[in-house]
Amino acid sequence: MVLVSAVRDYVYRMLQDISGMKVLILDSQTVSIVSVVYSQSELLQKEVFLVELIDSISKSKESMSHLKAVYFLRPTSENIQYMRRQLSNPRFGEYHLFFSNMLKDTQIHLLADSDEQEVVQQVQEFYADFVAVDPYHFTLNMPSNHYYILPAVVDPSNLQHFCDRAVDGIGAVFLALKRRPIIRYSRASDIAKRIAHETAKLMYQQESGLFDFRRMEMSPLLLIVDRRDDPVTPLLNQWTYQAMVHELIGIQDNKVDLRSIGKFPKDQQEVVLSSEQDAFFKANMYENFGDIGMNIKRMVDDFQQVAKSNQNIQTIEDMAKFVDNYPEYRKMHGNVSKHVTLVTEMSKIVEERKLMLVSETEQDLACNGGQVAAFEAVTNLLNNESVSDIDRLRLVMLYALRYEKESPVQLMQLFNKLASRSAKYKQGLVQFLLKQAGADKRTGDLYGNRDFLNIARNMARGLKGVENVYTQHQPLLFQTMESIIKGRLRDVDYPYVGDHFQQGRPQEVVIFIVGGTTYEESRSVAQLNASNSGIRFILGGTAVLNSKRFLKDLEEAQGIARGNANVV
Amino acid sequence: MATRNRSLLFRKYRDALKSVRIPASSSASSAATKSSGGGPVIEMVSTSLLHPNRSYTPLSTEDPGNSSKGAVTVGLPPAWVDVSEEIAANVQRARTKMAELAKAHAKALMPSFGDGKEDQRIIESLTHEITNLLRKSEKRLQKLSASGPSEDSNVRKNVQRQLATDLQNLSMELRKKQSTYLKRLRQQTEGQDGVDLEMNINGNRPYAENDDLDDMIFSEHQMAKLKQNEALTVEREREIQQVVESVNELAQIMKDLSVLVIDQGTIVDRIDYNIQNVATTVEEGLKQLQKAERTQKQGGMVMCATVLVIMCFVMLVLLILKEIIF
Repeated sequence: MVLVSAVRDYVYRMLQDISGMKVLILDSQTVSIVSVVYSQSELLQKEVFLVELIDSISKSKESMSHLKAVYFLRPTSENIQYMRRQLSNPRFGEYHLFFSNMLKDTQIHLLADSDEQEVVQQVQEFYADFVAVDPYHFTLNMPSNHYYILPAVVDPSNLQHFCDRAVDGIGAVFLALKRRPIIRYSRASDIAKRIAHETAKLMYQQESGLFDFRRMEMSPLLLIVDRRDDPVTPLLNQWTYQAMVHELIGIQDNKVDLRSIGKFPKDQQEVVLSSEQDAFFKANMYENFGDIGMNIKRMVDDFQQVAKSNQNIQTIEDMAKFVDNYPEYRKMHGNVSKHVTLVTEMSKIVEERKLMLVSETEQDLACNGGQVAAFEAVTNLLNNESVSDIDRLRLVMLYALRYEKESPVQLMQLFNKLASRSAKYKQGLVQFLLKQAGADKRTGDLYGNRDFLNIARNMARGLKGVENVYTQHQPLLFQTMESIIKGRLRDVDYPYVGDHFQQGRPQEVVIFIVGGTTYEESRSVAQLNASNSGIRFILGGTAVLNSKRFLKDLEEAQGIARGNANVV
Repeated sequence: MATRNRSLLFRKYRDALKSVRIPASSSASSAATKSSGGGPVIEMVSTSLLHPNRSYTPLSTEDPGNSSKGAVTVGLPPAWVDVSEEIAANVQRARTKMAELAKAHAKALMPSFGDGKEDQRIIESLTHEITNLLRKSEKRLQKLSASGPSEDSNVRKNVQRQLATDLQNLSMELRKKQSTYLKRLRQQTEGQDGVDLEMNINGNRPYAENDDLDDMIFSEHQMAKLKQNEALTVEREREIQQVVESVNELAQIMKDLSVLVIDQGTIVDRIDYNIQNVATTVEEGLKQLQKAERTQKQGGMVMCATVLVIMCFVMLVLLILKEIIF
């Protein structure tokens, strides 16, 4: 609830004190921020009768001075330019400006300069600078996510933008929570270190007044880790509802666009999957595919019961009851068809791509040992005609990540087979991945085979057997969180920034993954939060990844790195 | 939840910049100019240096009284706003009347010594008033629709939606109140005597076994009681019928409104979806126009006319040829 309610509070406060008809003007980033937490009907209740984007509103010349304008923008130089133009030719009666992060003095100066007609009533900073997709999961929706992979020398200015956006987003989260954290980061990652230090500078030096909140006994912990510490999780195919929809179809700002996978009637082309608004989704978002099927069947049966009773209209009473219940009935109908459509489409995709077969091997590669068996399985799947290119690539990557040190000859064989089979495969992508996220580059124990304790734990798990072969994988994040709960997060692996130090366990932890989070990881977070361990975890990242996005980032980074190498 | 108010700093900058813009030669301007010092010539020069692109507006067109306070005139709204305000007022009035109706319902259901006709009349009139208000508002609501994909039409559509939601909620509330009142009414009628004389509600007669015996010994006393109960039930039947009528009226209103109201939780309720749709409706309009143009050009009528004209010419030529040759 925490993140969603924080952003909702900000939006509520923006609109509450302004009476009369309003127009809300957003930019392309704040549209996502507001849309995931506030609905159109709620805006209408607050008398906001028009919502526009800032670049489209500058094109129109109609004067609407009976409306009061509420602007909610990110404080970028582009937005300031738009604002300046609009203030010099004001179209609305009053202007209330809200910015989602800290304004520089020069920017305020520029705005004041353009406000000749003195239409601006207030200028405020409301720190809702992150997209709260779930109660404990936020993202920054960064369009060019791949810069984290490249070393600083390649493209320093874009990397600086990347880091600035990350620091802004993290700062906004803590301002919304009104806390100032102790900061730790992943040892092996330069970019995590950089973001950690810049965040510390922001919170403790540059804006230390703003961040100076009442101190509780335990400061919260901000842990900045790198996606490359766990490259396995985004590559795996998922079998729990929310993660699966994102992996097979794609969720953006809690919306699913079905137009890319087939023809649908108008009202089913785009659907909303939000745990706040959809009770069925909230109950089933972390359930696995088999259980979802059963629950959906139950929901459809209930609905059919209701529909049948609605057809039995014989007396006036029945008619009255029908009209009474009609809105509920319509909502239920929409909800049922949405979930049925989603599950049907996903079943089709699973069938086409033979994902049950592929995923079994993937899970084995990620969780269990046995190099010889793994090699055979991967080779068989590579030879299988019905396996798609992207699945082949993922299998080889997973194999390479696990067995890069053992039997390099067989690894080479797999590379060659992959190159010969997949026409679209970009040469050397797997090697690039290994260079970035290989065993030497990772912090932590991804496969549980470095630490003696982890080996023992794995053996115990192997003996006990797993409930479900397809969901046996636990992301590395889960182990990290468990270490934090036990108070045993190693200083060697995750050093503190500066002279911060913390004895004992924090009560609130924000984990920021540079490079993006996955829904599988947000599921682990939600489950740990529900288990009352005494610590509240919040997860955030620069984007929400699925395997397609992760591979795209790798490809783009590889392209730039290659281009750079050629230049040099 | 932390926020930071930059309005003070903003206003400070704005006032400072304003004092630089307005030259010191105007003595009627605010006190800020007194602090700018220097001669007016120097002021003007520095102003134009700071803002080379701005054409310097002579002071006479500026109204110092207006600008110095930052008082904003919210402009006069367009005509349709009156309609929406009228509907909003109706909704408010309907809400107060509903509260009164709830009280009247409660009073009527309480056991009383009188025959309760007064209460019934109050309830009837209140219900009628509310239904009328809702019906009137709904008709006026249709007037708010506008055509054409302009920003103003979006505002109108949204105002319409919000009022429609309010109206629908009110009608649903009214129906719920009425149906609970109906139910309680029926319960009361049933429980009035030991013998259940309402055939249409409950087909079974609980004391059917005793009837055979009772038939023989129908006394005067029981006849009188029967007559009284009959009258009462006729009365109640009429009331119930009236309530049912108003329920049906409301049902009609609800049906009309439901097209306007947004379903919560669906894609139509998303802000970003609505923003995108605005853009696409304008494009759609353009495409429709182009298509219409094309179809008109290709239109069957045009084809036919052209063909006929050509045929005419051909026939004419043939005729001439026939004359020439023969």
